[in-house]
Amino acid sequence: MTWENARIDKAKEIIEMYPQKRSALGPLLYLAQDKDGYISDDSIVEISRLIGITEVQVQSVASFYSMYKQEPTGKYLLSVCKSISCEISNSSNVIQKVKEFTNLSNNETDDEGLFTYESVECIGACGGAPAIQVNYETVEGLTPEKAVDLCKWLKEEQPKVVVADELQLKFGGTKSFDWAIEDNTGSSSPVPGFQTYEMQEEI
Amino acid sequence: MKETILLTKHMRENPEDSHLLKSYEKNGGYKGVKKVLKSGTPESVLEEIKSSNIRGRGGAGFPTGVKWGFLAEDQERYLVINADESEPGTFKDRILLERDPHQLIEGMIITCFAANISKAFIYIRGEYAKPARRVQSAVEQAYEKGYLGKNIFGSSMDLDIVVHLGAGAYICGEETALLNSLEGRRGEPRLKPPFFPAVKGLYNKPTLVNNVETISSVPWIMNNSGKDYASLGVEGSTGTRIFSLSGHINNPGNYEIEMGSSFGEFVESLGKGVRNEKSIKAYIPGGASAPWLRGDQLDVKMTIDDVANEGSMLGSGAVVMMDEDTNLLFAAKSLVSFFAHESCGQCTPCREGTTWLENILDRIASGRGRASDIDLLLDVCDNISPGLTWPPKMTTICPLGPSATASIVSLMKDFRSEVEVLLPKKVVVS
Amino acid sequence: MTEKITFTVDGKTLEGKQGQLLIEACEDSGIHIPRFCWHKRLDPVGMCRMCLVEIETPRGKALVPSCTTQVTDELIVETESNTVKKAQEGVLEFLLINHPLDCPICDKAGECPLQDQTMAYGPGESRFIEEKRHFEKPIPISDIVLLDRERCILCARCTRFSDEISGDPLIEFIQRGNKTQVNTFPDEPFKSYFSGNTVQICPVGALTATSYRFKARPWDLKKVSSTCNCCSLGCSVELNVSQNKMLRILGEDNEFTNQGWLSDKGRYNFEYLHSDNRLTNIKLKDNNSFVDANISEATEKLKNKIEELHNPDIKFLIGANSTNEEYFVINKFANLMNRNEFLSKDKSNVYFADDNMFSGYFGENHQNASFEDLDSSDVIVVWSEDIKDNIPVLFLRIKKAVKNGVKLVVLGHTNSSLESLADLYLGQDVISNNFELKTNLGNIKEFQNIIENKKVTIIVGKSTPLQQKKYLDNLVDHIQKYSQAKFLNCFTKANTFGALQHIDQIKGLNEFCNEYEESNKNIVFTIGANPVNASFFGSKIENILKKADFVVSLDIFINATTELADLILPTTSFGEKEGTVTNMEMRVLKQNKILPGPGSALSEWEYLTMISKSLDKEIKYENVDEINKALCDEYENNEELPSFENLNKPSNLFGMKNRKNIDINIKDLEKNDLSILMVKRLYGDSSTQINSPSISMLGSERFIELNSKTLEKFGISSKTANLIQDQHSIFVNIKINNLLPDNIVLAPINRRGFKNLDPTKDFDIREATNMKELSVN
Ligand SMILES: Cc1cc2nc3c(=O)[nH]c(=O)nc-3n(C[C@H](O)[C@H](O)[C@H](O)COP(=O)(O)O)c2cc1C
Ligand code: SF4
Ligand code: SF4
Ligand code: FES
Ligand code: FES
Repeated sequence: MTWENARIDKAKEIIEMYPQKRSALGPLLYLAQDKDGYISDDSIVEISRLIGITEVQVQSVASFYSMYKQEPTGKYLLSVCKSISCEISNSSNVIQKVKEFTNLSNNETDDEGLFTYESVECIGACGGAPAIQVNYETVEGLTPEKAVDLCKWLKEEQPKVVVADELQLKFGGTKSFDWAIEDNTGSSSPVPGFQTYEMQEEI
Repeated sequence: MKETILLTKHMRENPEDSHLLKSYEKNGGYKGVKKVLKSGTPESVLEEIKSSNIRGRGGAGFPTGVKWGFLAEDQERYLVINADESEPGTFKDRILLERDPHQLIEGMIITCFAANISKAFIYIRGEYAKPARRVQSAVEQAYEKGYLGKNIFGSSMDLDIVVHLGAGAYICGEETALLNSLEGRRGEPRLKPPFFPAVKGLYNKPTLVNNVETISSVPWIMNNSGKDYASLGVEGSTGTRIFSLSGHINNPGNYEIEMGSSFGEFVESLGKGVRNEKSIKAYIPGGASAPWLRGDQLDVKMTIDDVANEGSMLGSGAVVMMDEDTNLLFAAKSLVSFFAHESCGQCTPCREGTTWLENILDRIASGRGRASDIDLLLDVCDNISPGLTWPPKMTTICPLGPSATASIVSLMKDFRSEVEVLLPKKVVVS
Repeated sequence: MTEKITFTVDGKTLEGKQGQLLIEACEDSGIHIPRFCWHKRLDPVGMCRMCLVEIETPRGKALVPSCTTQVTDELIVETESNTVKKAQEGVLEFLLINHPLDCPICDKAGECPLQDQTMAYGPGESRFIEEKRHFEKPIPISDIVLLDRERCILCARCTRFSDEISGDPLIEFIQRGNKTQVNTFPDEPFKSYFSGNTVQICPVGALTATSYRFKARPWDLKKVSSTCNCCSLGCSVELNVSQNKMLRILGEDNEFTNQGWLSDKGRYNFEYLHSDNRLTNIKLKDNNSFVDANISEATEKLKNKIEELHNPDIKFLIGANSTNEEYFVINKFANLMNRNEFLSKDKSNVYFADDNMFSGYFGENHQNASFEDLDSSDVIVVWSEDIKDNIPVLFLRIKKAVKNGVKLVVLGHTNSSLESLADLYLGQDVISNNFELKTNLGNIKEFQNIIENKKVTIIVGKSTPLQQKKYLDNLVDHIQKYSQAKFLNCFTKANTFGALQHIDQIKGLNEFCNEYEESNKNIVFTIGANPVNASFFGSKIENILKKADFVVSLDIFINATTELADLILPTTSFGEKEGTVTNMEMRVLKQNKILPGPGSALSEWEYLTMISKSLDKEIKYENVDEINKALCDEYENNEELPSFENLNKPSNLFGMKNRKNIDINIKDLEKNDLSILMVKRLYGDSSTQINSPSISMLGSERFIELNSKTLEKFGISSKTANLIQDQHSIFVNIKINNLLPDNIVLAPINRRGFKNLDPTKDFDIREATNMKELSVN
């Protein structure tokens, strides 16, 4: 058994939410990524037992989706958008600066395990292009300089929880729409900060 | 030109707390569903929806009432909300999820009442973590209040909602791929027929799949009437629609408008004009899949039919403006590589063709183009989408593959010289 | 569904069936539409897009895949229009841009659909100048299958087969889009009884068999159709031979039996034919060692022995690998040699080497089922040995039937592999450790609900030699009382049913041991039988053969049985002889010869006729055709005869009723409590398998299965232990199987080390503490 009991309990709870066990596969993969920063072979074995499908079936599904990482990721996953609205708003400059600062190329993780860099497709922040996500927390209206500031800040502060609103206030610019009140929820691992799939804080 | 505020009313009037149940309810929320549960019948709800003439807001524009009418009889039926919004340029569902989740939930309850459904899912793209948190806590609030769960609102109706996150696959926006994904499988579109999940959907059971905006419109329609809704907009494109405006625009954002004005008016009045007073070279009228229109076509009316007449589509409601300085080859390259990256890989033409197109564009962009490349690009496009017409003919299972050809065809049709200058001249051997 | 309709293809009006797929309907009318992913035994996926055709729709012409489109009345189809041609050329070009140019070193070349279709439909030169997709060149994904991902065209045939047909999805698509590849999970190789089918249906050289790698080119192969003899299902096969060596066996699509599929054992169990260990010369025992002899020395020796012993008792232990023609001769010969001269019904001297053989359900009151009945019945009821391990392709047929909605009821403790398919699994609550019914079946409501007033196919046989027949009778009588029942007697070995049809009366190994009288003078013939190994009666028979006055073995290897013989006659084997066989649904099928026998090996019938000649007896056959004729002469007049002539016709696959009353004279063993449930696994230590290098390792694992409660009692926490009984100790892997009843272990009788265990005696399981205990007894 490679998963903590609490994680297995959570997995069983999630399975209960669905009419068929296999539907819980996606959420369970997030639980796996929350644990190790990627989908490890051990987790695949664990999940295959919990759901009752073969290991390779789990792997087949996991590897289909780009948010399930097949290699270990750093503490902060930096995802810069390169799709059309960002592309025509000079996202390439942001990408270049972030790569330079982190000294990483696409899909690479630094030796300290702090940053993983990736260029990604549209993250739904096109009105605030160019945009970035840190552990799936969105920052809009970026400039190359602000992007570097953001990375520096992450490196220095190493926040336990990454909060979109906080980052936006510090480093963001034009937004896709009015975010209205400030929200202090965020993400504590390179999976979407969504309580059901995250347990970094609990464990 | 002004906005017509129906769906975005509550969030605008109560910016501090529009996502909370308390606020939603204080401002008239959940009234519609209470009325329906008390005195309505499934048939009467369906009647209203039909008479509103609302068409799906997910991109395909299928009449919602008709779709609901297809739902096959079965003990077990499901509602799935498509909140996978991933088409580049589109961010309208994001605001509805983040700022007014109860409106969606109310819409879902009414829909499930009309369709006799007791289990529903909201499939939100994984990158929408904050919207998902907001929706999840709204669902929890609704459970606490007895608006979800057993005997909701004290009626005999039961309804459970599960919020489910995707994990980075645009193709899961295609409804049958979404259902596969929700079943814990690879997000590959299913074969058609059956043409509608309403016949055979989640777990092979009849399933309604509707877009966030579509279902968020339901409470307004029930609070007012189908007729009222139909009186807005134009025939064939009734009601309001939220457009996501981005690109080289002074005031990008989401705008709720009645369909019928021109793109030019839209850009000038709501978008506050083009940045740095430039002119528009080309624009995308309806998301990354849509063929481009030229800057001299800004007087085209924003209706489903008018845009179709120009050989493109209103699609997902994403309008991307590209000014005179835009490098259109790079724009096309970005779009093509999006589709190549998002191809599920089932169909040979899409899996192999989109990557090939991406490679050729890369080659041209980096100065390694060949004289024959334009012909090659168009012929490869033709092998994915024979005839290069729009709406496309397909050699594939779903429209993703053919969508990848739209930008190349647009580029070659209207801006060919921008590419030609990058290529060596054809050597004519005499 | 069978409503006839007409549709038009390329201007010609054709007939089809409503609901039929267009590609199939066209095929039926001789119009071939190119395809890669479609396979008639798999659900269509419409992925490769090679089969696109144009049809007329209300909105004009549309390109649709003919493999996912159903024909409808008056459908208008074009398969050769310019649009279709362009689309097909396009698809081929797309497939080729990432396909390596290694046809010269590819096993598939010469029989490769991609290669062929490129010739027929493909574009001329390549317009693709970028780098191709690269993967590590072939990686082994199991002991017998290699995967070359560069060659793969992602048709999903292999993945669909594993998921839909064999139900062990161990090979899958990984990644997506252009990065998609087929693979297995690192720690879980493609460990399937059916993996070879994916090699056969892979339309390119992506999946290849280690046994066939670089062995031959298709154009060098000599081919003949035949019938597999690995179990009693009778799969149709094609034997591929080059330079007198069997190189490959392929499944043929016989609608009635295997429908194209084979088990890996059936497919790969052939290398033994050319093993150096094959017997090639006659051997006579001389002072405990064998010396070569010729046929006249051998017959002389036997003749003298018979005379010397003065009217000895002559018994025959026979195996399941003979042809009907050989059994026919064996029967005649045994009758001649029977000193009781077959006076009464109980005096047969022929004993069949199958522990689980019993009198079965035949005759007027028990209607014989065919495999087709599995699909058309409402319910399948199974109480037998493990189907998947013993008749693997029958497992596929059951799985298919279940997939199409037939209900499945499984009884007993041996068929765990069917549990996940079963609607009702009756295990220890209903059936005791000794395979007795604990309650009246009528009291089991779920059971009654499923079977009552239904069409039921019963697959029935003994799960262990110690099982008492009356409980099977209970099941059979009960179902016959409440529903319409048909029977498949679950005798699992090769041509068992051929033996039953052609031997006047068959007895079992228990009868052999009981009827053997030491005080007599005894001669024993063993014919293709190895009951000393892997049998409940093994040690008893070993003792008998050691004491017998003379033992003659007709066989292909020296093995635990034949090494006890005084005279060994080397025989021909599969592919080296012609004849007919009868499968478990009583269908007669043809085995064909494509190889010469090794050395001076002869067929069983040849030896027996020679011996009878030397004894001045009247069995005289010149060739196997004559025997086949003689055999057919015994059929009633107007029956369809299983003559070579009839069976060699293209439509050669008829079944037939029992030729005569089947007479099995086998009684139950004395009641005894079981503590070890000995079962036969697909892979084991049979002579043929251990002499086939490609698969010999597959039967090497020693293991036991037991439920967790039982394991707990022994306090074992590791995954290995020693299984101990008396002085025997076997180091085993432990597998948890919670379908097994308490206090019993399941052990493989055909794995090395297990044959001396006594299933009725207590056992112990202990932690394996030191290396000494690791050694196999
Ligand atoms: C490639 C592709 C991507 C799609 N993406 C989305 C999406 O992100 N959101 C959405 O609501 N519909 C999307 N659709 C449309 C859906 O298939 C479906 O038509 C829609 O969810 C139905 O809801 P509606 O009738 O309310 O519009 C997509 C379709 C295709 C072919
Ligand atoms: S067109 Fe592309 S995305 Fe759509 S099913 Fe085919 S391969 Fe998948
Ligand atoms: S390995 Fe062969 S059978 Fe499997 S997907 Fe690839 S080409 Fe098809
Ligand atoms: S294009 Fe970058 S966020 Fe949409
Ligand atoms: S054969 Fe029809 S799509 Fe492959």
